[in-house]
Amino acid sequence: MTKVPVTIVCAGGGGVGKTTSSAALAVALARTGARTLIVTVDPARRLAHAMGVEITEVVQPAHVEPAVEGKLFALMPEPRRSTPTFARVLFEGRPDDLARVMRNPVYATMADAAAGMHEIVSLILVAKAVEEGDYDYLVIDTAPSRNALDFVSYPGRLAVLFEGRAVTWLGSMARNVAEDDRGPGLFASVEKRVESMFARILNPRVLKDLAQLFADLALVKDRFARFARMSERMLLGERTRYVLVAAPTGSAQADVSFLARKLSKLNHRPAALVLNRSDQAEPGWLGTLGHAASGEEALDAAVAQVRLEYATRKRAGDKLAALFARELAGVPQVRMPTLESPDPVEIVRALATLMEPHLSVLARP
Amino acid sequence: MSSAPKEKLPPLGPVVLVTGKGGVGKTTLAAGLAECAAAREGRAVLIEFGDGESGKRALGARTKVVHRVVDPRDAMERAVANVLGSTLVARLFIGNFAVKPMLRAAPALRELAMLECVRIYADEHPGVRVVVDMPATGHGLAWLRLPAQMRDMFGSGPLHDLSERLIERLVAPSRCSVVVVTLPERLVLSETVELCRALEVEVGLPASRLIVNRFPQPLPEAAWDAARALEARGGASGAAATELLRVLDARKTVQREALEVLAGEASGPLSTRTLVYGEQPDDPAAGDVARWLAEEGAA
Repeated sequence: MTKVPVTIVCAGGGGVGKTTSSAALAVALARTGARTLIVTVDPARRLAHAMGVEITEVVQPAHVEPAVEGKLFALMPEPRRSTPTFARVLFEGRPDDLARVMRNPVYATMADAAAGMHEIVSLILVAKAVEEGDYDYLVIDTAPSRNALDFVSYPGRLAVLFEGRAVTWLGSMARNVAEDDRGPGLFASVEKRVESMFARILNPRVLKDLAQLFADLALVKDRFARFARMSERMLLGERTRYVLVAAPTGSAQADVSFLARKLSKLNHRPAALVLNRSDQAEPGWLGTLGHAASGEEALDAAVAQVRLEYATRKRAGDKLAALFARELAGVPQVRMPTLESPDPVEIVRALATLMEPHLSVLARP
Repeated sequence: MSSAPKEKLPPLGPVVLVTGKGGVGKTTLAAGLAECAAAREGRAVLIEFGDGESGKRALGARTKVVHRVVDPRDAMERAVANVLGSTLVARLFIGNFAVKPMLRAAPALRELAMLECVRIYADEHPGVRVVVDMPATGHGLAWLRLPAQMRDMFGSGPLHDLSERLIERLVAPSRCSVVVVTLPERLVLSETVELCRALEVEVGLPASRLIVNRFPQPLPEAAWDAARALEARGGASGAAATELLRVLDARKTVQREALEVLAGEASGPLSTRTLVYGEQPDDPAAGDVARWLAEEGAA
């Protein structure tokens, strides 16, 4: 029996610093000595490289600082390789079937463009990694979108497609269309008419490829269903916590409200809210500089500018915090300041330190 | 930044697609571009996919811009109706027990249909500037690659023709311009560069505008000298000056990097002047963005 790790799913709109906060949370957990896996569904190449991690389908040790060496691992799959990865994982041990699927032009085109494909692939890879890896904590950084939580239902939706009547129907239709191209007669059944429309919209060759693809996918439906169940357990299980990430921008706030509503439909409540760029007070050094005017005009202007920005962010942060205190009453808030550094890993480390006192809230065991 | 001499920017096409990483201010910029076009040309439309909330918020109540929301299901119905010649038949077809799950699981067709809706709108309203708030980087790119992929996959038939039409009348440099929005942050910039290359190489649509949003306010050089002098004096204010210098240096690095990275892009495949929109204390309104774009001659 594999250990079920405490899973923290970070969700939020784009540009709120979700990837950075997820990495920071993982670093903070690893600092406690716990084996932690950070999964980034939509990896930022620069952050991955800065953490010494390749963007690939394999779990790798992350190199952020000596304290977490051997404790922190990362899985950052390349979104643009998810189509072949999906087939490879599902058809493991069936080289001939795999080759046929990979040659199917419908598979390459449709899967490549399918929204959600990469999320499914990432989840399958996580499910595999958890089986093999013996982790205490799993931090999942979802794609930056309102639809981030839809991925809970993606595998199930696909599984329905593989198992349903649709596959059988499509298979028989592909054969019919190939043999008979005359179209439905006057008294043809509704199904016959739909078939003919389908053939008209697609075309017989594509229809055949499509049917072949479905027949091939039906071969591995049990395997897929197992992965779908595993990811569902992972995402909706009792050891799963949802952390919503926001920042003071109009859309981030609406995105979090939207995600919270979706969560409640899944019978989950956010474990915590992380409010990024929501400074609570200006740092002491800024006060020191502000109170003793230097007499240097340029310096005073710079100090005034930086103070103004802190004040603006504090106001915006207060507003955001008050709004969520009403809307998501009872959900603990973790406010994070703005950190300025050109080095993304430095920001991750600093945020991790700021998160340490809040770990009992963010990752309640 | 606005004091720099401005070379003239090439005009935008009838359809303007706005994309970029999530959270960089795509919707605000798209709304601003539409406002600008409405002020100059009298008519403009902002097309948004999804629930339409964010476009509405960005445009505000007193806008002259027409706001269109493309819903995936309607788009599919419309595109299929166009192929089958009847809305009723299309509705029956889409509702079919076998077609329905397939359309849900293979959203590539849905996305193609949404592009087709934009194309239909643009073709039916010649002379109206159409600004499209596209999905973020990865998805936006996948959408734009779709017509060529689908054309090649189908080879013939109505979906082939539909894809062909999209390539000729929508995703073509003569018909549309891509505006890429970015932020002066390392992680965002590297993604922007990848996006710009992919747009050029894979879609054949080089970005015609690159807009760096939320650029930090420039500070005078003398501030650094004074802070260093203060630091040298030591004591409490000396230590505070060290902290200030750290912040100021971080900003300067970020600004320099942003301009360097993007200038490298611009001198290569991109032939656009980088536009820099200064930091706003709060979310700017579309009207403010429109004013700035007009000043920059970018709309």
